[in-house]
Amino acid sequence: MFVLSIIKDTIAILPANFGVPPAQALISEINKKYANRVLHDVGLCICAFDLVEAGEGKVRYGDGCLWYKVRFRMVVFRPFASEVILAKVKSSDEDGIRLSVGFFDDIYVPLAYLPQPSAFDPNERAHFWLPDSEATTSHELLESATADRMYIDQGEVVRVRIEADEFYDDEPGPPKASEGIAVKREARRAPYSMICSIAEQGLGPVPWWKSSQPDGDVMDAE
Amino acid sequence: MEVVNARSALLSNFEVLNLLRELDAEHIARTKTAIRVKKEEEAAGKNSHDTHTEEISENLRTVELEAIQYLSADYQPSLHQSDASITQLVGGLQSFGLSKAEKLQIVNLAPTEPVELYVIVEELEDRLGNQMEDLLAAVSKSLSERAPEHPNGTVVVPEVKQTRDEAAVEVYEEADQETWGYDANAMEFDDTGEGAGVEGDLDVDDD
Repeated sequence: MFVLSIIKDTIAILPANFGVPPAQALISEINKKYANRVLHDVGLCICAFDLVEAGEGKVRYGDGCLWYKVRFRMVVFRPFASEVILAKVKSSDEDGIRLSVGFFDDIYVPLAYLPQPSAFDPNERAHFWLPDSEATTSHELLESATADRMYIDQGEVVRVRIEADEFYDDEPGPPKASEGIAVKREARRAPYSMICSIAEQGLGPVPWWKSSQPDGDVMDAE
Repeated sequence: MEVVNARSALLSNFEVLNLLRELDAEHIARTKTAIRVKKEEEAAGKNSHDTHTEEISENLRTVELEAIQYLSADYQPSLHQSDASITQLVGGLQSFGLSKAEKLQIVNLAPTEPVELYVIVEELEDRLGNQMEDLLAAVSKSLSERAPEHPNGTVVVPEVKQTRDEAAVEVYEEADQETWGYDANAMEFDDTGEGAGVEGDLDVDDD
């Protein structure tokens, strides 16, 4: 789920931080710049792992900061394709399910990747799966007995396989103004989103695949 | 800014959890000493001359805390793992001929049942067949010991990292930068810390 990336950058240390040992100050600046931000085609940066090498600090004309050329390693969140992870269901709607791992929530399961046959129950606002059913249209599926349905509820922990991820580089264009009032930008797409699947055996809510435990409910799906 | 290598090594969830917990502990220690120093200065009646207030990145704290929460959740096996148990598990997995990605996923997900293993390893029957039970047994064994919890939330790992623990204690006493000592050797980074043996196995260089 997490990888180490090696990044090269030039970091400035403000004079206020000159009293701190440079390694610590550099790591702190790196974290300020990169933590919790998405790097295009790299992933979601979590924190700096360590410094590989750092040159001497040089002063540039114009400001009093010490500029260091640094090469460092960064912990990045980027599951690889076909990796299996655990996530929680954040919300469901007609187009699919949205999942979250706490620090990242743009994980989607579109309808195509739900176990077949399944349908969306508008009353429960949740998708459900009907194992071993021959019904093909959602209309037929919605007529099934509620007890047979395997619901995927909000807050459930699910095992998913990552199928693809997408980076979207949102470059703001020059500000457009019409009639003197700046036009509001349209809704932004998430800079990093993932598509996953729960269509296979073993994927989906964890309780579905737990073999009989001494306590409680056996949801033995086949 | 240049990305030299977007994927130079894979990290297991457990390693990342430990790293973040350490960061968190350091941060808390630093805030405590800062408050203590401030109080002493006020008590001594000194002019509270701001020698150095280090800004804490909000983003870092947010992602750190959320990631710790996710990685130490009940449904994650990381609660039951330790450095030693993971090294042992990876060693045990050598004989099954699994790819690096599969080994990493087994460490992260700790499958205890055949159906879980099914999603991780492709062509399970062809490749493993009767060895499945052995694999699952190896995984369960590595999970059986639950790592003892340190009062301030960091996990105390048995053999490895004695120096790091002592260093952490020193940060409590004085605000000194012992823990960053290993970073100050800018040219050569000492990799005997966490993940010894584990990270080496999971390097992706030739994938």
